[in-house]
Amino acid sequence: MTIPAKIDDLTIMVAGQGGDGSLTVMNVLSELFGRRGYHLYKSRNVASRIKGGIAAAQMRASIVSRGCTGDQIDLVVAFDQEAVTNVGPDLPPDAVVVFDSSDKPLDRSTLADTIRVIEIPFGRYAVRDLRRDLFKNSMSFGVISQLMNVDQDEAEDCLRQTLRRLPERVLLPNIDSFVDGRKFAMDDAIAAGGYPWHLERVTREKHLMINGNDAVAFGFMAAGGRFFAGYPITPATEIMEWLQKHLPAKGGVAMQAEDELAAVNIALGAAMTGVRTMTATSSPGFSLMAEGIGHAGSAEIPLVIANSQRAGPSTGMPTKPEQSDIDMMIHGGNGEYPRVVLAPGNPGDGFIIGAAATNLAQRIQGPVIIALDQAVAQDARSVTPFDLEAVEPDDAARLTEEDLAAMETYRRYELNPSGVSPWAVPGTKGGMNLVTGNERNEWGLVTTVPAKRREMMDKRAAKIEHVRADLPRGVTGGDPAARIGIVGCGMQSGVIAETAERLNAAGTAVRYLQIRTLWPVLEETADFIRGCDHVYVVEQNSEGQLMHLLNGHGAFGNLRSLKKYDGVPFRCADLVQHIINGEAKAVQGDAA
Amino acid sequence: MTITFTPSHPIWCAGCGHFGVKNAIVNALATINQPAHETMVLAGIGCSGTIQNNIDSYGYHALHGRVLPTALGVKLANPELMVIAAGGDGDGYAIGAGHLMHTFKRNPSIVYVLMNNGVYGLTKGQRSPTAQQIDPTTERNIDGISLGLSIPGASFLARAYSGAADQLNAVMVAALEHAAAGRGFAFVEVMSPCVTYNDTYAEWSGKVHDVTTADGYDPSDRIAAFSSVYTLAEQGKIPTGLIYQSDAPAYESAWKKPGLAGPARLDVSPAGNRTHYADIMEKYAF
Repeated sequence: MTIPAKIDDLTIMVAGQGGDGSLTVMNVLSELFGRRGYHLYKSRNVASRIKGGIAAAQMRASIVSRGCTGDQIDLVVAFDQEAVTNVGPDLPPDAVVVFDSSDKPLDRSTLADTIRVIEIPFGRYAVRDLRRDLFKNSMSFGVISQLMNVDQDEAEDCLRQTLRRLPERVLLPNIDSFVDGRKFAMDDAIAAGGYPWHLERVTREKHLMINGNDAVAFGFMAAGGRFFAGYPITPATEIMEWLQKHLPAKGGVAMQAEDELAAVNIALGAAMTGVRTMTATSSPGFSLMAEGIGHAGSAEIPLVIANSQRAGPSTGMPTKPEQSDIDMMIHGGNGEYPRVVLAPGNPGDGFIIGAAATNLAQRIQGPVIIALDQAVAQDARSVTPFDLEAVEPDDAARLTEEDLAAMETYRRYELNPSGVSPWAVPGTKGGMNLVTGNERNEWGLVTTVPAKRREMMDKRAAKIEHVRADLPRGVTGGDPAARIGIVGCGMQSGVIAETAERLNAAGTAVRYLQIRTLWPVLEETADFIRGCDHVYVVEQNSEGQLMHLLNGHGAFGNLRSLKKYDGVPFRCADLVQHIINGEAKAVQGDAA
Repeated sequence: MTITFTPSHPIWCAGCGHFGVKNAIVNALATINQPAHETMVLAGIGCSGTIQNNIDSYGYHALHGRVLPTALGVKLANPELMVIAAGGDGDGYAIGAGHLMHTFKRNPSIVYVLMNNGVYGLTKGQRSPTAQQIDPTTERNIDGISLGLSIPGASFLARAYSGAADQLNAVMVAALEHAAAGRGFAFVEVMSPCVTYNDTYAEWSGKVHDVTTADGYDPSDRIAAFSSVYTLAEQGKIPTGLIYQSDAPAYESAWKKPGLAGPARLDVSPAGNRTHYADIMEKYAF
């Protein structure tokens, strides 16, 4: 029997009906791949309902750390026909389908003949031998581990580790089920067709397996964040849940409000007392919060707002990623006010930006928005451990009772070149002041005097310049001398980096910029664009919001839009093809 | 002494009921010896939403309808502060009505003074949810005290009339004491006439009726309170006084951690926290 070459990059999908628990097999596979030194990128594809509807989990295991799922699915583990029918046409010729044929044999009509199908009636065996349908997870892991030529002891250890919280009487039948699965695979599949894969074993440093929502919440807490108010909404809810789990132990508050209007205003009230405060929501919730966010900008209240964007408009597609709130985050709300919009590209970046946003909000005494998207927010991946030592809460221009006693006058909205007025929080003796969203004078009293209005608008705007040098820089990569550029942010970060890698390897020189500060547009972003003949702007929306934003800051004329708005992220293979095609057209155009 | 914000003179029309409200708040703060710098007055939008400019304390001008959530945020973040929210009937019963029932339900120890004049004064005379002139075939007005009585968490429900200063002062002191003692949400609706768009002094002077003057009135008896409120309303009267007061758990106390200050005064320095963060991070090890 021949052993195939070791596999260094494998994408697996496990699909079944939502709520039937079939996705837990992914956890055992994570354990196995983790031990073998692979990096993981995990995403879920679920309908927005509790039970029923197709649910699929996807995992890319790779020796090189990757920021997106693979181009194609190499292994499908399906507990029902619908999943196979749907993904069948997209499978590569050498894909393997492991199918639960308990109900009926697989309808192969959407599959190419070259695809290897292993049909095992998991559910039926599990019920017949073990009286429980749920054991099919363990049985399917038995099959897969055998197909990957992982020996029984190692595989069983992974299963035991994953199921370690189960009582022995439940664990043992799971082990039996797993052993049965291995036997079925050996007798039926491997005897007939050999091993499709052989896993690598490498060593890598300890990593974290975390999603962007959790990482942003963690970054906020690490930078001293101790107050959160929010309202449940997919795909942002994990931020609230993470903080509800972790803030109270440190004396903090993480509360669920009655709606987004309450959430943002509770957050404003808390933030006024000096506690570092965040709210989090997703697109429709962000539009509900718009008035409150503008109020933070006007009244000069430090607040972090995380927006885990989903596909819009209106209720849209709650479980699907999109980057269609870029305009709203940068320009939404009535009137004009200073704000910072930051876009982490992965969970590791989410921690850094969660912490940075918390400090920046204090430093500008205003709103700092974290632009997540469903993919960055909810996809979990392996990242290097967070640098906790690098995070230091920054109290900025906070006044104490002693500071105030030494001052002749204290004006809450004092004019000064930085635009940042010294701040006495309620409870501080001698610092009484008025906070308002009305235009006001330095004392906080309402005014409409034209000169005062101009001064106050200019003062607020100046705060962005005050912190501009400290705003998160982008990530660049690829061939630094290339004349072709690729720009993206958030969920595009992993995709554009890998696309650039492939294009450079294939002889098309490109470089890329992953933007991390969306607003204000940084000079480095404009420099990158000016330094290229043309730049592909990759984004998940239909109107090209990022491209228009960049054009508005330089009228570059050399930007080419690559947009997608079907709820499915770009695949590297598609981008590579788009760019190769685009370059071919450009060459034809030059020749003409 | 640092020169900072000093209270300004109100912008209200001469004779406005809100003067009485402001005086009652100032008087009650003095009566309970509340330090000005540990007090925060938050007001909504409308004529009533300028009251924070006229009281010696920290002040905040909330978004329209959002004074209660904002005040809740202040109280949760710094429970040591005396937090007084103020607003009109439009702010509290129309655009912000949803928050009122949730504040009753949670019962945070803040005072809420709702100045009810049955009209939108600042925008010049539109009907409010408590207007007497609402088209009777389509809309009836609403009653915040009855609403509060119907919600189990409610712990302090009072109504006063700015034309009756003694009662107003007594109710306001009781409200501040209720909040200062951490007993929960003190709701005070003040019938506060708008002399320009809805001058109801004459009408209301004849209608207000202090429920607590009844023999043996027990403000802790919710059913009796319901009964007297509805009985008086059917007689065309406006029930006033400390109508209901009980002991329900205060929201902020549920968040209080023994030995730790409120969120605004916590130690967030790396020295005191990094080990804890490292423990959290370890749970994600892969």
